[in-house]
Amino acid sequence: MSVKGLHKIIYPFAPDQSGAAAVLYELGCMIIICDAGGCAGNVCGFDEPRWLRTKSAVFSAGLRDMDAILGRDDLMIEKIVRASDKIDAKFVAIIGTPVPATIATDYKALRRMAEKRIGLPVITVDSNGALWYDSGIEKTYLECFSRFASDAAAGEVIPRSAGVIGVTPLDSDSLTAGKRITDDLTASGTEKVICYGAGSSFEDFADAARMEKNIVVAASGLKAARYLRDRFGTPYECSDPLIEDIRRGIPLSTEDLEGKKILIIHQQVRANALREVLLKEAAGLRDKPQITAATWFMLDDELSEDGDLRIREESDFFELIGNGSWDIIIADGSFRRAAGDFGGKFIDLPHFAVSGHFAGEESVRFYT
Amino acid sequence: MIREPYSISIRELNEAGADNIPQELIPATQLIYSSPATLAFNSPGATGFGVKRAGLAVPDSVMLLVAPGCCGRNTKLLSEIQGYEDRFFFLLMDESDIVNGDHLARVPDAVREVVDYLDVKPSVVMICATCVDALLGTDWDRVCRKAEEISGVPVRPCYMYALTREGRKPPMVLVRKAVYSLLEPARRDPRTVNILGYFSPLTDDCELYDLLRQAGVRKINEISRCGDYESYLGMSKANFNIVLNHEARTAADDLAKRLNIPYLELTRLYQTDKIANQYNAFAGSIGASFDDSVYRERAERTVSEFRDRFGSISITVGEMLNANAFELSLALVKYGFRVPEIYSNVSREDYVYIRHLAEISPETRLFTNLSPTMLCYDCSRSDADLTIGKDAEYYHPDCPNVPWNEEKQPFGYSGVTKLFEKMTEALA
Repeated sequence: MSVKGLHKIIYPFAPDQSGAAAVLYELGCMIIICDAGGCAGNVCGFDEPRWLRTKSAVFSAGLRDMDAILGRDDLMIEKIVRASDKIDAKFVAIIGTPVPATIATDYKALRRMAEKRIGLPVITVDSNGALWYDSGIEKTYLECFSRFASDAAAGEVIPRSAGVIGVTPLDSDSLTAGKRITDDLTASGTEKVICYGAGSSFEDFADAARMEKNIVVAASGLKAARYLRDRFGTPYECSDPLIEDIRRGIPLSTEDLEGKKILIIHQQVRANALREVLLKEAAGLRDKPQITAATWFMLDDELSEDGDLRIREESDFFELIGNGSWDIIIADGSFRRAAGDFGGKFIDLPHFAVSGHFAGEESVRFYT
Repeated sequence: MIREPYSISIRELNEAGADNIPQELIPATQLIYSSPATLAFNSPGATGFGVKRAGLAVPDSVMLLVAPGCCGRNTKLLSEIQGYEDRFFFLLMDESDIVNGDHLARVPDAVREVVDYLDVKPSVVMICATCVDALLGTDWDRVCRKAEEISGVPVRPCYMYALTREGRKPPMVLVRKAVYSLLEPARRDPRTVNILGYFSPLTDDCELYDLLRQAGVRKINEISRCGDYESYLGMSKANFNIVLNHEARTAADDLAKRLNIPYLELTRLYQTDKIANQYNAFAGSIGASFDDSVYRERAERTVSEFRDRFGSISITVGEMLNANAFELSLALVKYGFRVPEIYSNVSREDYVYIRHLAEISPETRLFTNLSPTMLCYDCSRSDADLTIGKDAEYYHPDCPNVPWNEEKQPFGYSGVTKLFEKMTEALA
């Protein structure tokens, strides 16, 4: 029995504050990472591949020990006020880290105080660094839609329009994912595509009610899609518009699938989409493959099939690999070492939130 | 979107004085811009030799990072560096651990599990602690003692407490103390010297090695050149320590107190006349004499050849480099170049250079990497021919650049020579 929380081989994944920042990065807001410096460094230097290419107002609150011990929220707000005097921002986002989590910061009070002093809308995301990126994405989408989506826009639905929720670099195979999704949907008849968090603006969130439907491409977008359905009646579907591209990168022929026991590890929507494509291909085979989807991240019951599972501990992963008698594992390449003496075929399916790498080694990081 | 980046001339900065450094230059008073330099220095585990990598300076050591997952995320980068692949382990805190500290009860068992997992017992398990435990007030010495009892190997804490970066003993000071904490009293060897300060060695051609040999030193220890734990323990025999980085002063004080090894400090400089003065003073203090003429002549020849070839060019200087930005700028101006802009944090200690720089280049402007207003820095307003420092390159992406942040550390005349060689390569 391994010690709870002990990782001997698998490195920690992108945390919730990185997920929050990923949604907000292009929205023209001031992003304040409520930390001492390390978390902002991790977001910009490692988890945010756009940082090298596109400037965004991502700041560390620069907290010091006495700020945290004495709960000097007013001091942080003064810093934000001073910066906002010099920078034009549409709103301010304060993103939590382990420091405010430890001292139990009251985010509601912080938001109210900040809005009063700054005169701009302020959102807060109570990320804590102990959860993975998808939690931060989920909270941030929900916060943005609930604060900014306008009721006035409801009733003016744009025909053949789609909002795409869940496109961030952390879940993507490259920085072009948003554009490729837009191109694909446009080619198939959608006239207006908004990828929230990738190439979208603050105003697009305000107009969310005008979308004819929403497409959820990662499980972290589900809660926001359900919120928009409940508030505006906007239907949603879960799919991965890039799955054909992804399939082309998987070096397996249809014949290779015959009778195989396959494990796919990724975020749930992508793992499901890949399973669906492979099963469709294998429809004509005499001995169909058995495919299980597993994820370290959110596992939504509605999207799950029997046997699908969420991995929580490294020891669970070892057990899953060791006892599963898999023929093929499709997962981020950084799990290969943890798969130990797995004797089947291991196929790389990059997941930036896991390895910090895109497919094809695009150079995206400042820290090297 | 933005207006102007904050900047101040060196003349104004000097006139304000060390006691009145403008608020815009003081980290605690403002949000901190995510520039490359702040990402590096404000984030103690992030890049280069931050706390995590530095903590593994002891040969054959491993590290257990005890933290929420976010603190270990960018450690993935270090795992991609040769020699670090199998040396990091993580005990991840969950949401309740952050508040109630339950993770501490798991540390000793986690250390034992790590030790049992390894084929070869590590020399020491370094526990890397983070902001959560800084706030919880964790007594790491106690936790490490317990872990040591259970695992049978030495266990030491190193503190990646970003919250204390501007405190009396910031993380990079304490980690230097931690990595020498395993040294035990030993019989002194009068011909052995330790060089403290960096986690990678001086460049092989650094004249300091030769000068020490001229003084009769036979063994020069640097932690990064210790191939195994036995060699590391041999550092206990040093007759004296040479501190090349002020962040190692606390470690040197500790060694002076525990092992009775005295120390002296040398500063990395790029002004050849000052290097000469420093070596003279150093030789005097140890009762020796050095002949450094060959090295000095070579350095000055390299500078003069560069100036003859490229003229009095304009060079901007960052702080993410193996130099003090102000001292290097002062040296460059003294050598006949223009330094229109410096991108750097500023401290009281820098005024020793700022005062001189104000006399010979008062209009040089200081931009601070910290300021949120740097978001609107516009490189087209600057006339740089060359930039030095990785952060300077960020602001001038199309300008020739010398990063000057290699791991092997430049020092003395050989540092000057190598820098100008690199500058020549960048412009050739």
